[in-house]
Formats: sequence, structure tokens, C-alpha cells
Amino acid sequence: MLLLPLLGAIACIAIPGESKVERGIAHGVALVTAVLAVVVVADRQQVDAPWIRSLGVRWHFGVDGISAALVLLTAVLTVAVVAHALSGPIPRGGTGSTFLGCILLVEAGALATFTARDAVLFFIAFEVVLVPMWVLVRRFGDEHVPDETRADAAGRFVLFTALGSTLMLVGILLLVHHQGTSDLTVLAARHGAGLSRSLQVTIAALLLLGLGIKVPLWPLHTWLPSAHTIAPTAGSVLLAAVLLKMGTYGIVRLAVGTVPRGVAELSPVLALLGVVGILWGGLACLVERDLKRLIAYSSVAHMGFVALAIASGSETGLQAALFGNIAHGVVSALLFFVVGDLKEQWGSADLRVARAALRDKAPRFGFALVVGLAAALGLPGLVSFWGEFLALYAAWSPAPDRPVALLRACVVLGAVGLALAAGYSLRVARIVWAGEGSEAATGAAAEPVLDTRGVRYAVVMALVVVAVTLGIVPHLLLGLSDAATTGLLTGLGAGR
Amino acid sequence: MKGLTIDYAVVLPALLPVVGLVVVLVADLVDPRLRRFPYAVAGLAALGSALATGPGLALGGGSTRQTFCLTGRAAARGSLPAVEGLPQVCLWQADALGSTLQLAAALSALLCIALAWPGTRRTRPVGSTREPVEAVLLLAALAGTVVVAASRDVGTWLVALELATLPVIALVALSGRRSAVAGATQLLVTSLVSFALLVLGVALWFTATGSPFLTPDAALSTGGAFAAGPAAGATAVVSPSVSAGLVALATVLVVAGVGFKLSLVPFHAWTPTAYAGSSVAVATFLATVSKVAALAALLVVLRAVSALGTPALLAIAILAALSMTLGNVMALRQADVVRLLAWSTVAQAGWVVLPLVSISALGVTASATYLLTYVVATLVAFAVVAVTLRDEPGRGRQLTAYDGLWRRNPWRAGALALALTSLAGLPPGVIGLVGKITALRPVVAEGWVWLAVIAAVNAVIGVAVYLRWLRGVITVPEGRAAPRQPAAEALAAARRRPALVAGLVLASAVLVVVSVQPDLLLRLLG
Repeated sequence: MLLLPLLGAIACIAIPGESKVERGIAHGVALVTAVLAVVVVADRQQVDAPWIRSLGVRWHFGVDGISAALVLLTAVLTVAVVAHALSGPIPRGGTGSTFLGCILLVEAGALATFTARDAVLFFIAFEVVLVPMWVLVRRFGDEHVPDETRADAAGRFVLFTALGSTLMLVGILLLVHHQGTSDLTVLAARHGAGLSRSLQVTIAALLLLGLGIKVPLWPLHTWLPSAHTIAPTAGSVLLAAVLLKMGTYGIVRLAVGTVPRGVAELSPVLALLGVVGILWGGLACLVERDLKRLIAYSSVAHMGFVALAIASGSETGLQAALFGNIAHGVVSALLFFVVGDLKEQWGSADLRVARAALRDKAPRFGFALVVGLAAALGLPGLVSFWGEFLALYAAWSPAPDRPVALLRACVVLGAVGLALAAGYSLRVARIVWAGEGSEAATGAAAEPVLDTRGVRYAVVMALVVVAVTLGIVPHLLLGLSDAATTGLLTGLGAGR
Repeated sequence: MKGLTIDYAVVLPALLPVVGLVVVLVADLVDPRLRRFPYAVAGLAALGSALATGPGLALGGGSTRQTFCLTGRAAARGSLPAVEGLPQVCLWQADALGSTLQLAAALSALLCIALAWPGTRRTRPVGSTREPVEAVLLLAALAGTVVVAASRDVGTWLVALELATLPVIALVALSGRRSAVAGATQLLVTSLVSFALLVLGVALWFTATGSPFLTPDAALSTGGAFAAGPAAGATAVVSPSVSAGLVALATVLVVAGVGFKLSLVPFHAWTPTAYAGSSVAVATFLATVSKVAALAALLVVLRAVSALGTPALLAIAILAALSMTLGNVMALRQADVVRLLAWSTVAQAGWVVLPLVSISALGVTASATYLLTYVVATLVAFAVVAVTLRDEPGRGRQLTAYDGLWRRNPWRAGALALALTSLAGLPPGVIGLVGKITALRPVVAEGWVWLAVIAAVNAVIGVAVYLRWLRGVITVPEGRAAPRQPAAEALAAARRRPALVAGLVLASAVLVVVSVQPDLLLRLLG
């Protein structure tokens, strides 16, 4: 499953120029990978082979309840991204083969990250996605902005993330040195036994700081909006739906599993940062003019809920975090697909420019956008609702060793954040969908956009269906991760 | 001289370059017009030297250190009085680590020879002695490097280290450009200063330990002799604490002296000038073989000291942090790729000594590992620069000459991308990543968290440095998108410089293989 996208990527990059071949390869590889992912998740297969003996690093991949949903999400979304990218023009700036190759490389890296069962291997896989993503943003970014802006966005993305992962590496090495093994299963089973309190706090701080950049937690989020805005649609979707998940997954897997006491000590900070992120993202969304940036900021807010859920330290919290992850993956992918297409036609995504209303002129776009926005504001019956509701619930009644008062205050503030989300979602709906002020539109802006159709429409509709299904029957997902989180937490209890 | 045996097979890695050197000189005497012969001989000698390290690698695979005793290496040994009570000491100890460093030096030298391979079109005045001289100097420096990695007594150590350094100065001066002389002068002056420091350090070592050997036993004899000293009534001239202090001082001086050769900040000033002034082949030699020599020398001393269990040296930590920071920041500002690589060398030297803050077997191995990854990646980068220089003689050194290389020549661009990502420590250059992990491990293990965090920040600046170069490679320049080089023409170009391309292919292949299977590299070091 992992090798396939990697080989496909190499093949794609090696094929020069535009051709039909690489389209076929990309399609085939993405599809087969998705099928394999389903098989692997169903079977819980494992790969375990020695790799770097002198470092004790092994090729050890496996799927469990925590990662299964994320693996599926990644594999399926890649199919969607490839299908979407191939049904339209490839962004200018390079050959299609490089573009598709980078997408597949990102997929390979993300799958490896989610399935890695070895801390050092996790780090290596974590790094794999950096360069292809950088290429996607740098080379295939929005051609309407000057080259320097693209360079700035891409550079900021890669430098922030590299800093995060190197800090994480220091934390991992500290952990591995003191525990004597880098096997995540063993590390999780020990649950920080044998580590002094201060050491746990140091490791947890390094890990949380490093992964927090990727999530992104509030003061470290500044790379996200520019990268999202500049990146092509495929890049934005992968960035929001897959890469951000690697951060929260890492926190659950690496930090919560291995140094529970350290995380417990730092959970107030995590909760506060999460809440600040929720509010900050919401407020920024209220005034943001660029539609893509707006969605990027709303990502910051959603990931704040996930951080809050992790900080609660209870089983429900972890479930909520994982559910919120998937929910955000689906919803942000949907929104970015729609907005990316709109931007492609409009040329920009500035909300101040009066344009023809989507409701009248392009109903399919309008429908998808409204579903996405409704999900983003956490409407019951859609997928995000459960993530956010559970997060708030978990934080209200946290694990016994967490500061209850603080977390409850955070819950209140988080609820305010939900109200903000409603505010900005409705603002966007009012302007773009209902077409407030569209009478003032003149010239090209008054031209209605071509409605989405064909493959792109199918992609978008599939995501809508997923969002609604998971919103109505969340147990599909909760059941998947139930046993695993319980295991993580019973170990947690034993460790104490 | 009596009772000492020489195993010539073991000394072979050092002997072959010397033999090659003599052959080149004789051939030059016989027929001075041979232009490629010196390089062919030099290449063969380097290859032979590399092959000759094979047994050492195989032997040292385990944790046991295989040693070989022989004499006749240093003629001056006879004049030294035998030190009583010392166990039998081997002057030449080639264990896995030493052999690996020798192998790296020999292979790097081979590649440098390929880079320096004379083109057919270049016309030289008749009677030019440039080629044989260059070949001789390269071989001499290689011999010095090989010897220093295995030497275990101060005399050989010093002489070999200088043998590895001095020919390089001549090489820089010979590369012909006017700025080369400036570089060579700077190199000469710093080399002399570093030699002075080294001699002083070695003298202090001798004073402190009373032993001319750079072995753990000798170091222990300090502590041991003085611990047992008063009771046994040994003739201790100095008190134990003073002696331990002397060893520490000697170590610091040696570190400073070698720091010049490794171009650690603040002993780095010669690096950019010398690199930029000399030809690419010589700069490559400076960046790879000389660094191997310097690190090998440093490791010989530090391994001896490590037996004492000396606390980690703050000096090394500061040197490492300074080198990384200054090197990276300066590299960010360079427009000339050779200068960029020069500053990157400074930064990487910081990474190389970083693990040495824990003076332990772990630190030593990690340092050597990082050096090897750096050497391989730098070789590839320099080879790409050399190939580009032959294509575009005027602009090949400019960063802008690499714009759109991906379009024009995907293979070369791929090799360069792999080398740069390895140096930056990002996948697909997995080996660079593994090197960084290895280098950070002892640092973290010893609890130097602040240093590790500085290193992490520097890793990020390093990423910025190399991506700055890589950005040009993968982007298509606006307006002047050069058409792809027709395959036939590229092939013809490749035929014109087979040695160069072969070298590039070889180095890239090594890089790819160790990236896929880093264990191959790591296990070499035992």
C-alpha cells in the first residue's frame, strides 16, 4: 500500500512533459491504493522488517483504531484530488507529471506517517511530505500573485514545518534514549513509566511545540493562511485534510501515549492555546476578505477544538479529537474543492467584489458551498457537529487530574467560538450564495460562473454524502476508534 | 626496531598512493608529454587504496577492535626511549571506524581525480608540468589522510596531518587564478597557526602523560599513575590535578588546531576565499578529503581522551553552535555556488563536531557517520557544479545558472536535488535525515537540550539555504525557458567528459543506495 504511491510518484516525476500515460498512472495508483487501504484496514495487516539496525529503526507499519480512519481518509481523498486535478487544467508552472507525482508523494508520506509504529520512522515519514508540498505551493501556486508572494508562502510553510519537526525529533530522541526503544507500541504500553516528572514535561513540551506548529496551534499558525491561499486546489485540500491531521495524530500517538504525565502537566496550556485559536480563527474569519484565507482561518478554529479535546485527557476527549480530525478533513476538503473551483473561474476570491449569486446562477456550486458552511458552523446532522460537541462535552468533564475550572472556562469560550463560526459562515453564505449586493456587480464579475459538472461535481457530491452520512450515523467512525482509545487510556491508567 | 613486525597488507591503503606518486614522478621524467597518464595512475592508486581498506572494514564489523602492530612507520621511533610498563602498543590501528574513514578519503580522492581529469580540448603550453604535479599532490594528501586515520603516536599523527594539509595549499595556489593565490596564502597562514597549536597541544599531551602514544592506555596512565602514584612512590613530577588539567588543555589546543582544518568558527576565515579561488576539483578535495583527515585526526585524540571519562567539553559545544549558525547565515547570502558550498561546509562542520560533546563511543561514531553523509552529498553537489561549469564556463558558478535545470537536464537536476536535500536533511535525501538523527542522539543522550534546540533551529536555516538553490533548479525561469537539450547533444556532451560524468554517476549512485538503505553506511562504522 505504501510502496505503490511511492513508485507511482517516481514514475510520474520521471516521465517528462505532458502525456496521457502519467494521468493513467496517477489514476490507477490512487485507486489501487485506496482499495489496498480498505483491505489493510479491514485485515489489520502489519509490515515489520529491520531497516537501520544500528539505530534500532525498523520498517514497522501497522493500522489500528486510531489511524484506520485517517488512512482511509487519506487514500480516498487522494483519489478525489487526482480525479479533480485531472478533470481541469493543470496549474501552470510545470509539467503535469511533476504535479501528480508530488500529490502521490504527499500521499505516500501521509500514509507512512499514519501507519508508522516506530517513533523514528514516524519522524522520517513526517518529513517526506515536506518537499513535495513545497513544490506544489512554490511551483503550482496561484498564478495571479507575484512570484515573491508564492516564494514567501512556500518558504514560510517549509521553514515553520521543518522547525516543528526538528524540535519533535529532539523530543523523540530524548524519549527514545531514556526508554531504550523506539517502538511506539512498547512506548505506549509503558506509558511513561520510569521517566521522571520533569523529564516527561520536557519531552512533552518539545513534542507539543513541534507538532503544534503542524496542527497549527494558535501562535504558531501564521504559515497556514498564506500557504492555503497560494496553493493550488489539490494542495489546499491535501494540506487541510491530510497534513494538519498529521499534527494532531502525532500528539495523540506520540505525546499522549508515551508521556501521559507530561501532557497532563501541559494540558492547561494546550487547552488555552486551543481556545485562543478558536476565537482568533473565528474573529479573523469575520473580517477576512479572501475566501480561501477565510477557510484557512476556520481550519485554525477547528483544530483548536481538537486541541481542546486532547487537553481534556478523557476517553471521550480522544474520541472527539479523532472524530474532529476526520470531520475537519471531510469538510475542509469539500470547502476547498468548491472555493478552489470558484477561484479558478473568478481569478480571485475577494469577497468585496460583488458577483452574481451562486444560488441563482450555479445551484450545484451553491448547494455544495452551503453544505460545507453549514458543516463548518457545526449544524447537527452534519459531521462536524459531533466532533465539536464531543470536544466541548469532554472538556466540561475532563479526566480527574486536569484543572476542571480552567477547562470549563475554555468550554464557555469555545462555545462563543461556535457562535463566531455561525457568524462568519452565514456572512459567506450571504455574500456568495445569496448574492447580497450582486446588483452592484458590473463587467466580468457579473458573469455567472459555469456550474460544476462531471467528475468535479461527483467528487464534491461524494464529500457531501460522506459529511451527511457521518453526521447522521457517527457510530460508524466512533466504533472504529473505540477499542483503540480505550486501550490507550487504560494503559494511561495503569501507568499512573 | 627489534621485535616489531610489519604487516604490509595492512599498510597497503597508505602505501598505494605513495607508490602511485612515485610512478607518476618517474613517468613524468621519462615522457613529460603524457597528459592523462598521471591522472590514470592517481585514479588507480586511489581505487587500490580504497580496495585495500576492505579487510579492515570486514574485520571491524563487530564490536571488537582489530589492531595491527607494526613498525618502521616512523623512523624516528628508534630514538624515542621505550616507555616501561606500557603494554605493547600498535602504532597503526585500523579498526572499522578508521578503515571507513580511509575508504571515504580514498573514494573522495578518486572522484576529485575524475573531476580534475583534463579535457581534450583544453590546450596547454607544451612542457607544462601541471598534470603530474597535481596528481602527485593529490596522492600525497591522500596518503597523509589515510595515515592519520590509523596513526596512534604523536609523531606520525602530526606529520601525517601536515602531509594531508600542505599539498592542498599547493593545489590551491596551482589552480591558476589570481584569487587562488590569495586563497592559498590565507590557507598557508592558518595552517601554520594551526600547526603551532597542534604542536603545543601534543607537547602538553606528552608532558601530561609521559607517553608519545595517542591511545587510551596512555591517557589512563596519567590517571592511573597518579592515583597509584603517592602510594607506589612513583616519580610524579606534577600533582594529579595539574596533570588532568594539562590533558584537558592539550585536548582544547588540539581541538582548536584541528578546528582550522575543519573550518570551525572562529577558525573558518580561510574557507570561502580558498574555495572560491581554486578550481572545482581542488575545492571538492578541500571539502571532502581534507575534512576526513581533520576529523580522523580529531577522533584519534578524542578516543584516547574518552577513556579518561572527561566531562563533555563546553568548548566543543560552543564551537559547534557558532559554526552552524554563522555558516548557515552566511550561506543564505551567497550568490556564488562555490562560496555557498564553502559556507555550508562551515555549517556542516558544526554538525560534525556536535555529537562530540559527549566524548563517548556513541559520539565518535555519530560524528563519523555525519561526516560520511556530508562527504557523499557534497561530492555530488560539487560534481554537478563541475559538470555545469564545463557546459557554461562563464556562469556555471552563479546561482542563477541553475534556474530551470530540471527542464534542461532532469538527471543532473535530480542528482543535485538529492544532494541538496541530503545536506538539508529532508527526504528524499533520507541519509541526511538519518545523519541528523545520529548526530543529535548523543547530544540529547547527554542532556544538552539547549544545544539540541540550537541545532534544530539551525537545521531550519540550513533548509532555507539549500532550498534557495533548489528553488531555482525546479522553477522555470520566466521568459527564457530554455528548450530541452536534445538527447543526442547531451549524449555527445557526456562523451566529451566521460570521467566527469562517470564520477557524478558513481557518487549519485552511492547517495541513492545509502538513502534507501542507510544501514549500509551506519554498519560500516561498527
